[in-house]
Order: sequence, then structure tokens, then C-alpha cells
Amino acid sequence: MKNKLMHLSNETMNIGFVKKVEELSGSSVRRCFQCGKCSAGCPMAGFMEHPPNRVVRLLQLGQWERVLAGRSIWYCVSCETCTTRCPNKVALASIMDALRKLSWDADGPSKESYVQLANRLFIENIRTYGRQYELRLGAVFNMKSGQFLKDLMLGPKLISKGKLKMFHSKNKNIAEIEGIFKRIEEMRKSGEAL
Amino acid sequence: MTAGKKRLNYSYYPGCSLHASGREYDISTRALFKALNMGLKEVPDWFCCGATPAHNVDELLSLSLCAKNLVLADEVEGDLAVACAACFSRLKTAQHHLKEDDGKRRQVEKAIDGPAKIDKPVKHILEILAKEYGLARLEESVKKPLSGLKVACYYGCLLTRPPEVPELDDCEDPRIMEDILRALGAEPVQWSHRMECCGANFTLSRPGVVLKLSDAILNSARLAEADCIMVACPLCHGNLDIRQQKIDSRNKGEENYDTPIFYVTQLAALAMGVASDSLGFESVCVDPKPMLKGKGLL
Repeated sequence: MKNKLMHLSNETMNIGFVKKVEELSGSSVRRCFQCGKCSAGCPMAGFMEHPPNRVVRLLQLGQWERVLAGRSIWYCVSCETCTTRCPNKVALASIMDALRKLSWDADGPSKESYVQLANRLFIENIRTYGRQYELRLGAVFNMKSGQFLKDLMLGPKLISKGKLKMFHSKNKNIAEIEGIFKRIEEMRKSGEAL
Repeated sequence: MTAGKKRLNYSYYPGCSLHASGREYDISTRALFKALNMGLKEVPDWFCCGATPAHNVDELLSLSLCAKNLVLADEVEGDLAVACAACFSRLKTAQHHLKEDDGKRRQVEKAIDGPAKIDKPVKHILEILAKEYGLARLEESVKKPLSGLKVACYYGCLLTRPPEVPELDDCEDPRIMEDILRALGAEPVQWSHRMECCGANFTLSRPGVVLKLSDAILNSARLAEADCIMVACPLCHGNLDIRQQKIDSRNKGEENYDTPIFYVTQLAALAMGVASDSLGFESVCVDPKPMLKGKGLL
């Protein structure tokens, strides 16, 4: 892809995808004129293969598959610096949310799996317990990512300082929380929500 | 809420971190409110706001979780006090979006199976101290001024960005933390990394990112000759405090940072004369007591 000439036409521009991102994010993608201010202030640009302004440019040119397959969207830390500084009111942090959702729904063609795993476990924790169970979050993350030794010494230290609880009780209203998850799933099944 | 000498009463959403890794923020918030004679009543059965992971991949879930928490908070008297910058940002974001977008509001009301009673004002602790209790009154209430303490005020991301959501202070040059510190008798330093990101929740998935970003913040505070850093977010605190030893071990041949990280409520409570052993100092990784003793503040 990198060395090929890019041909632009109505078909390759993929305006349908851009409109979907715009609907999900509530922000224009097309208004960006590539000043680069977002990337200049982005604390994560150095970790990304496509810095934020290039992510938008790729979308404008119909190259969304390259964006979804890459790691940039998963390295965005949601600091909102880009959105705050954009002179054209492009809410880039919300666009990143929309792209992650589209990648997530397609079961992640992205190369970056650790952030997705952490997100998944975090949301599972809400559904199971109501509140975050940090010890479980860390332990299951290490198990599932195969990094058994990651922060191994930190766990006992934080437990002794009272920062990590060994046991965690579920919320009393856990059925109501489950109801929210279920109803959102149903709304998506019936096409009522994206 | 009427101004004047009337007792201020708040409902309180601590959030998950404040019941676990950020427990000292919860402890010191309660101690400070008691010292200032402000009421603080925890919302019963609150649950996780969804934080960054939920809105990262599922905005509707994020909005629904926050809306339901706001409905629960509606049952408790007083504006909603929030200490965690991330919870504060998510709750305010939900209010902002649902006010502006009827379509989203309908979806959320269906998801939470009821009306979205979300109009209760959500206020960050900083805002309550500086604007509602008031800086002048705060200064009058000080019993042990923090004289000689040079503090780097660290805002991080979500207290001010994007500006239309938190509505707390200027999004590029906020002053609220510095104003509070001066009222407490301490001396805020000028430094470069007040608003840079610490790496936030990447501490679980990509700790390398956090080590690099937080290293730059600690280094900037050291260059400004700050004795310590003050934060108002449990994630910022975790990354700068819990990860500090690891950051030191990576910076071979350099002096350790040994920079204590305080929550705004710990410093404020200390200045109000609250006993230091009831502010959760035993829970932090970089022990602040030697520095405080050296300054004659303990």
C-alpha cells in the first residue's frame, strides 16, 4: 500500500465511512485543513505510526482500513488536547472514540491488543461487580496478556498500603447495571442504536 | 445554593479509585470537609462511571452509566461533589451531550429505563474550595499555613479539557490550584508541565508510555525546584507516585526524584490543622513526611 500511487475517485473516497464516523463522533471529519496543531500537542504522537492529523487525512482520502488496522487509534490517551486546540472545531478525541468503536465492533483488525484487552476487562468488571476491582483487573490482564511477571512486586506493596483490596463485594443494584448492558445490546440488535 | 455563612452541603460521588488505589484522596476529602464544616453525603449504591475504557469503545454505554449515576445522585441533597478528575469529566460530558442531543438522550433513557434526571450541578472539589467555600474564607480558616512549601500544581488533562465540558478554568492557563495553594500559605512554582498528560490508564496496558510521560513531568517539577507536586486526580497520583520508583530505576546514574505527590485535599487539610496521621500518608509510595518535617510543617 505504501509504495503504490493513490487514485482518487468517488468510490475510493469512501464517503460513507466518513459519514458514519461523523455521526458517531458528532464531529466533522471533512472540516480539517491539515494545520497539524493536533499532532504538535499530542503527547502520544511519538508512539503512533500515523499522528492524529494524518489519521484524519487518511479518512478524508478513503483510506480508513489503514487507520483501523494500525495502532494509532489505540495509542490515543483521550487527553483532549487536540479537540481543545483545533481551530476548525474538529473533535478529534471523539473521532478517535468513534474509530475505536468501529474497530472494536469489527472485532479489532488492529495490531494493538493490550489496550483492547484492558478496555474489555475494565468493562467486564463493571458488568460483574458494579465498581472496579483493581486487583482482579491487574491479575487477569497479566494472565490473558501472558505477562505473568509484569508489576509482580507492585501488587503486594500496594496491598500492604491498603491501595489494593484482596476481596471486593458486588453492588447491591447489580441487576440494574446488567439491565443497562442488556438494553443497549437489544437496541443495537434492533438497529435502534449504532 | 445561597452564599454567605450558610452551611454548604454536598452529595458525593467518590468513584472506584477513591475506594481503592486512591483511598487517601477519599480520606483527606472527608477530613477536609469536616474541618471546613461542609456536609458530604455519599450517593448510595453508586457504580463505575465507565471512565476512559467505556467511552473509548462504547459512547452509549458511557453516557448511560453516567446518566444512571446522576439519577442516583438526584436522590441525595446538595450539588454533586466529585474528587476524581476522570469521574468529574465523564459525568459532565454526559450532562453536556445529553443536553445538546435529543436523539442520544432518548437512547440513554431507554438504556436506563427511565427519565434522565441529570440536571444536578456536578462540581469538582477544586471548584467547591475556590468558588463556593471561597478563597478568602479558606485563607481565614487556615490554622497552620504551609509557609515555605514550594509546590508544582499539576492539572493533567481532564480538569480543563475540552473547555466546554468541565467549565472549571482556562483550558491553557488555569489558576485555580495556584490560587488555593496561595490561600493555604504555600508557594506555587512556575513550571512547564502543568497540563501535559501523565499517560493515564495506560498504566495497566502500556506502562512504558506512563513511565516516559510521567518522567518528563517529574523532571520538569525538579527543574522548577518544587518540593512536591499537587494533583487532583487519582490516576495522575498513581502514575507519579506509585510509578516513581520504577522511573527512578530506569534513570540510571541520576539522582532519584524523591518527589512527594499530594492530593489538594491532603495539603488543604494539613493547613486546616487536621492531624497528619488521618490523611492517608501511610498509603502513598513516596513518603512525604521527611520533606514536611524538614520544612517544619509536621
